[in-house]
Amino acid sequence: MTDAAPAAIEARGISKSFGGVHALDAVDFEARLGEVHALLGENGAGKTTLSNIFAGIYRSDGGELLVDGSTYDFKNPSQSIDAGVGMVHQHFRLVETMTVAENIHLGWPETPKVISQRALIERTKRFMDEIGLHVDPTAKIWQLSVGEQQRVEILRVLARGARVLILDEPTAVLTSHEALELFDVMRQLVDGGRTVIFISHKLNEVLHVSDRITVLRNGKLEITRDTQGATARELARLMTGEETDLKVEHREVTGEPILELRGVSALNERGVEALHGVDLTVRAGEIVGIAGVSGNGQTELAESISALRRVESGTISVDGKDVTNGSVRAIINMGVGQIPEDRIGVGMVGSAPITNNAVLRNYWGDALSTGMTLSREGVIDFTKTLVEAGRVQTRSIFATAGQMSGGNQQRLVATREALVATRVLVAAHPTRGLDVLAAHEVQTSILERRDTGCAVLLISDDLDEVLLLSDRVAVMYEGEIMDVIDRVDVDRERIGLLMGGHDLEEGTP
Amino acid sequence: MTTTYRFERRLDADPRHAAKTRIYGALIAMIVAGLLLLLTGRNAFQIFFDALDAVLGNQRGVEGTMLRAIPILMTALAVALSLRMKVWNIGSDGQFLMGAFAAVGVGIHLGGPGWFVLIVMAIAAAFAGAAWMLVPALARAFWDVNEIITTLLMNFVAVQLVAWASLGFWRDTEASVIQSTEAVPYRLADLPGTNQLTIALLVPFIIAAVLWWVFRSTKIGFEIDTIGGNPRAASFAGIRVRLRLLAVMLTTGSIAGLGGMLQLSAPGAQALSTGFSAQFGLSGFIVAALAGAAFGGVIVGGMFIASMFFAGLVLQTKGLSVFIIFGIYGIILTGVALGEVAARYRLLRVETVTEVASA
Repeated sequence: MTDAAPAAIEARGISKSFGGVHALDAVDFEARLGEVHALLGENGAGKTTLSNIFAGIYRSDGGELLVDGSTYDFKNPSQSIDAGVGMVHQHFRLVETMTVAENIHLGWPETPKVISQRALIERTKRFMDEIGLHVDPTAKIWQLSVGEQQRVEILRVLARGARVLILDEPTAVLTSHEALELFDVMRQLVDGGRTVIFISHKLNEVLHVSDRITVLRNGKLEITRDTQGATARELARLMTGEETDLKVEHREVTGEPILELRGVSALNERGVEALHGVDLTVRAGEIVGIAGVSGNGQTELAESISALRRVESGTISVDGKDVTNGSVRAIINMGVGQIPEDRIGVGMVGSAPITNNAVLRNYWGDALSTGMTLSREGVIDFTKTLVEAGRVQTRSIFATAGQMSGGNQQRLVATREALVATRVLVAAHPTRGLDVLAAHEVQTSILERRDTGCAVLLISDDLDEVLLLSDRVAVMYEGEIMDVIDRVDVDRERIGLLMGGHDLEEGTP
Repeated sequence: MTTTYRFERRLDADPRHAAKTRIYGALIAMIVAGLLLLLTGRNAFQIFFDALDAVLGNQRGVEGTMLRAIPILMTALAVALSLRMKVWNIGSDGQFLMGAFAAVGVGIHLGGPGWFVLIVMAIAAAFAGAAWMLVPALARAFWDVNEIITTLLMNFVAVQLVAWASLGFWRDTEASVIQSTEAVPYRLADLPGTNQLTIALLVPFIIAAVLWWVFRSTKIGFEIDTIGGNPRAASFAGIRVRLRLLAVMLTTGSIAGLGGMLQLSAPGAQALSTGFSAQFGLSGFIVAALAGAAFGGVIVGGMFIASMFFAGLVLQTKGLSVFIIFGIYGIILTGVALGEVAARYRLLRVETVTEVASA
């Protein structure tokens, strides 16, 4: 990108506050014509607020907004669209039962009042060719993958003449392959003279795709710089305001085996074998990481250990005691905790108070109940301890859990399971969806568990995380453990091959 | 500076506030109903005071209201219990009828001391109500069949069975009434100091108190609320969701069934007839839904709806058309329902400062 390119959209000293809290404090921002400009920041840094002002969803309290050099004060989203600014939201606004062509033309002033299906599809095809972005125009939205739906959403915004395209955390819902495809689309759009504002908190993606980067923190501008020469470490420090490199100390693991799986097989929801003869041992004070592409049996593995899924053959033992197909409660009572993959959907009751959620996995214990009654004081004391230990921020422990922010919900569940897990902690994707600081908190608490002599099984599709925390790495592929590799012998290339079902000796297909 | 108002959804409604908005809703609805009556040339104030007088003016009014409240409260408690688990028991009317059916069967065929027969009647009624819930409960627990449809359909079967008994195999051949079984010769003990009431009145209050305690202080209550909130989280906590589901559904059936037995002690209702249930299940359902499945709210709501029905009856004798009375019921219940919705919102004053910029 040449520095000479003029600004496509510019904010000068934009401020916005909600109920006295400054979401944006005199922020300057400029995205040039023909560049991918990354807007980076932690949750609550102001990225979404700024982009919503660009999109006409919020009105700024002060400051100036310029598009193509003219000043605007958008009162609603359609004024912003008229000025050539379009936003693709994290949650798509498509009609699932309608076709791609219909969705693109829906609510578009240029759509002819009366038009045949065939003409509509023709128009859509022509438009797609113009942009260079293709989705089957006759497909219904529900038939499409998330990545394709996002493409339709982008087409819809472009159809309305957007020259500045704002993508709000577009990769959050995508698989890594789909994300790469999206990056190609983004490059293609800027090569065609458009401007893309890419909102994210994933450093690798930002470094990979953007031309320039603006970092926001606590509603203030930290820096705007060229991507060339920027490092993930520097950006993380700017985002969080502190040194965030997690120091992980690995010691020799000498503990006795705690969790042992021998030849474990289990079926998935559709009755197809998802685990096939899994052998795995986790020792006291050890973290064993499961590396693998999502959907290769990791979920079923975690559920089998927690007795949430029936084991078809093989044995699972904890502390030498066979617990195969025992009751959920017996497993918990043995000191096995699980941070479930779907923390909100499985690990929490959103409509229930925080107190109920805090004691969800141990309310039957002697400390909290006598006979058939539950001790109110016991529950309150335990909740207070948990909230404090996990730094869960809430105005009251009697507020419903669903009211808390996502990060606090995650903290609540993770801390609760850490308290349950005196012997074994199964952590399934524990940092998914968390920003850098919150992720480090969770990782630190997992390391603390390890240091108390707990056996930890870490499941994650983030290979960096697995390699950072684990003492040994087990690679899973199609329900089988391909190999278990000691941390010191880790070879990324070999792990990558194993994740794809190959090994070095066999060569690549 | 511009000031605008807008509604904002509350994160969670405070129950006390929600109770207040329901009362406001009812009051506003009464004013609306009054205005409509005035528009049609009727004396709304007179009608209002007549209604108030009918319910609270004398002992007959208070007792009449209580009598009507008993079956409504029993079915409402049954529905409210199921709602705690997000199960919709639309069949409380059928369970109520089957409870009465079983109790009449015992009452006219089993001899012995009154207290003994009455206890057996109560047990039989509770079992019959539960039995009427058995198929929907099993279908829901094991095959995930929607209980709204199954419980609703079971109502029609119960109505036909009661009609068959009243017109056929248990028909009273001596009395002049053609569509009725023999009268049960046993009645619950009178409530001291009243003319028409029996100790049946105490039962819904006792059940409400027990349920309130169960959900406030016991593990079972905690588990039912957890299942109602998120069944997957309940399984994650090791709660046996199916067993609890079966237990709760059968219990709600037995509460409604017991209600049918209690009704046999109401004046003029000792026998089973085709008109035995005046859609008590429907009223109970409305009460439970409007009370948001809170047991204290069910008691208040049940008494309120019963007083409304009794007042309506008295107003009918004073010449107010039954259609107008039903219209007033509808307006008032709509008001309560809107009050329930209003509790979830608050009115916000928004002040925005805008610097006028030229485009």
